[in-house]
Amino acid sequence: MTKNKLYIIGAFVFLVLLIIPLFYESTFVLHMYTLIFFYTALTAAWNIPAFGGQLSLGHASFFGIGAYTAAILYVNYGVSPWIGIVAAAAAAMVGGLVLSLPLIRLRGPFFTLASIAFAEVLRMIAIDWRSLTNGSVGINIPFKPSLMNLTFQSGMPFYYISLALAVGVVYLTYRIRSSALGFHLRAAASDDEAAKALGVNTTLTHFIALMWSSGITGVLGLFYVFYIYVLEPQTFFSLDLFSLQPALNGIIGGMGTVWGPVIGAILMTPLGEFLRFYLGTIQQGLNFVVYGLVLVLTVRFIPGGIVSLLTPMIKRKKAKKTANLPKETEVA
Amino acid sequence: MDLYVQVLVSGLLLGGVYALISIGLNLIFGVVRIINFAHGEMVMLSMYLTFWLNHLYGLDPYLSVIIVLPVMFVFGVMFQRLVVQPILTTSATMKIFTTVGISLLLQNLALIFWKGDFRTVRTSYSMSSLEVLDIIISVPRLVAFGTALLSIIILYAFLKYTYVGKALRAIVEDHSVARLMGVGVEKHYWFAFGLGTMFTALGGVLLVPFSSVYPTVGVPFTLLAFVVVVLGGLGSMSGTFLAGLFIGCVESFGGTFVSPGLKEAIYFAIFILVLLVRPQGLFGKGKGTEEVGLK
Amino acid sequence: MALLEVKQLTKRFGGLVAVNQMNFEVAQGEIVGLIGPNGAGKTTVFNLISGILPATEGSIVLNNCELSRMPAHRRSLAGIGRTFQVVRPFEMTVLENVMVPALTRTKNTAKARKKAFQVLEMMGLDELAEAEPGNLTLAQRKRIEVARALATDPKLLLLDEVLAGLNPTEVAENLPLIRQVRDKGVTIIFIEHLMDAMMSVSERVLVMDQGSLISSGTPTEVTNDECVIKAYLGEEDPQC
Repeated sequence: MTKNKLYIIGAFVFLVLLIIPLFYESTFVLHMYTLIFFYTALTAAWNIPAFGGQLSLGHASFFGIGAYTAAILYVNYGVSPWIGIVAAAAAAMVGGLVLSLPLIRLRGPFFTLASIAFAEVLRMIAIDWRSLTNGSVGINIPFKPSLMNLTFQSGMPFYYISLALAVGVVYLTYRIRSSALGFHLRAAASDDEAAKALGVNTTLTHFIALMWSSGITGVLGLFYVFYIYVLEPQTFFSLDLFSLQPALNGIIGGMGTVWGPVIGAILMTPLGEFLRFYLGTIQQGLNFVVYGLVLVLTVRFIPGGIVSLLTPMIKRKKAKKTANLPKETEVA
Repeated sequence: MDLYVQVLVSGLLLGGVYALISIGLNLIFGVVRIINFAHGEMVMLSMYLTFWLNHLYGLDPYLSVIIVLPVMFVFGVMFQRLVVQPILTTSATMKIFTTVGISLLLQNLALIFWKGDFRTVRTSYSMSSLEVLDIIISVPRLVAFGTALLSIIILYAFLKYTYVGKALRAIVEDHSVARLMGVGVEKHYWFAFGLGTMFTALGGVLLVPFSSVYPTVGVPFTLLAFVVVVLGGLGSMSGTFLAGLFIGCVESFGGTFVSPGLKEAIYFAIFILVLLVRPQGLFGKGKGTEEVGLK
Repeated sequence: MALLEVKQLTKRFGGLVAVNQMNFEVAQGEIVGLIGPNGAGKTTVFNLISGILPATEGSIVLNNCELSRMPAHRRSLAGIGRTFQVVRPFEMTVLENVMVPALTRTKNTAKARKKAFQVLEMMGLDELAEAEPGNLTLAQRKRIEVARALATDPKLLLLDEVLAGLNPTEVAENLPLIRQVRDKGVTIIFIEHLMDAMMSVSERVLVMDQGSLISSGTPTEVTNDECVIKAYLGEEDPQC
């Protein structure tokens, strides 16, 4: 029953989301929703290695690689971004491969450090390699509206594109979590050695998770650059926007769960925008002070994220149901 | 030829300060076994403190150590007690996020209170330099290197010959064995944190006469210090010193011969490479590394 | 033809020799007990066979297949199952815990679930399938540990003190499981400190002291062996 109820609620929310743009003319509202969807997808992608307990603070690297690959192919060689999807995913996965090399030897905090360093290296390269990336000026996507160019007159198409991305990526992470890969990731996160003794190749498992995550993040970078038209190294390789933010969403929503990223992105994206525009204009830096506090306090008081506050409620319902089960079998 | 020597000298001089900042980290990391993502902010705070002491009271940066070092020692102890102690038994993830959160907090509090401007301290010796055999040596950098070297030697002697120092070394080597030998491991946490912060802060003070202070000045130092500690090996003072010099040279040569924009990129790349090939460090024994996720 | 052949197995930690040139064989279908005083190196032998630690020297051959250079997960696939002395359930339900190893043999979750249920039934854990291991008793968690190892379809099962820390009733409940597992065709080596339990179940006993194999034979032979008695009483005898 509860599961069916959840499906019904989900379908209802989805339908409401589908028709929202028909009622709102305000570009701000559409933009806000689009951002929430982007961040939902990005956080869900970030979350895949986090199933295995690997915490990246360098996902901006994959985001930026994907964006740069697609933008350079499009602007310099006229390659349609739809074809660029493959290139963006592939290039970001090469990035994922490089970052996963240290994973062979190390886990935990050192992986996190390496991921930050990796994004920093890429940002510096993007600024320095002017002939390819146009340096810190960045690349502008020319405004030539057409479906092939992934450029549109209104914000509506991107609303639907980002919604599709969010639903798609969250569904994918759901599938991953309930597959062999997901089981092995969770086992490795819980006890690496015990998992190995049971036949789990934990290194390969982490590697595959990072491949999925980096590929998806690269594709998201592509869509994002065609959404905002401007590609600057400071933005796309930004530690705050695309490395810390998804991690923050993930930890606040609930790292390593399917719904945590969704909850985190829904809560944190509007909050982030609000803080940036209101607090940020009153006092530069105040928004990040709030972020820092939220982060420290969440970790301290609800380490499992918001999902961990919600699951006991669902579990209790489940437990009531299962409590009846043994009796039924006895009768049978 | 002169150019190479010149670049080498300035690299070594800078590397001395890097070594000092990293030795502070090595001590904290080795004893308390926590990866403090807010380490660079210790450098930032000490630099600001030095700047304000000079700006408001005209105190010479080098003299300001008599105030900055005790203050930062206390700050380190408070940091350990209030931030680190409560999360010691939690997962690696919790530790990372807590210290990342603190790092964000400190950077942006600095931004709020002291604005984003680049601030510099002008001293009579800021621009002065010596010329030895056609090599130009900046005086404040030379002082920084000399002081760094001296304080590292003092720390080394302290760790080698005093009771507390020996206890700290035992803890760095192996927590459980130290505990078995009757060393109160947890009792030393606050002291190690204070001491490590103090040495890091000294590095910050020494940077002030020749570099600007701004809220995010510490960010690269967190990574840099970990690069140096990983290169030098956990628990190895001499390894950290050599690795600090090495990274200083990498930065100096990379900045001159590759591209100034890529000097940091080069040592981050080295960092990833070293983690891959020899995570126990180029010079270190790598004891205790398994406990913190290195294999 | 022996199922497992261990030759010259040695493990050194720095200067300390934890396992010293061990040689032994285990035949298909045997239940072999591994005993010895604390610190004799029994668990280290398990770690070496299962690949949790690399051996310094020596060879480990299972079914003509040389294992000593393989990483731990490959040895599991080759047929080595093990439990850990300190139980290490994953942070997931009992059923999911047992599905993890099942999913290393098949990618199909439905099949893995079925397999896990079979094993849980055999271990008498089927009613606890949805429980979190953290809420269960030690005896139950030890059973999960065994169930997980069994879900890998091991040829050889290494049981590390699966009875330790249990009360007499629980021991009596868990003990028959060992025979039951063997009757499914799994060869077993087990470490145990409870002598009565050990002697009643094992067909052959290997005795270790200070890293070396000092005796082997039937339980009665071993208990009458002078060297074994001295090892346990702590006397040194150059003849042994």
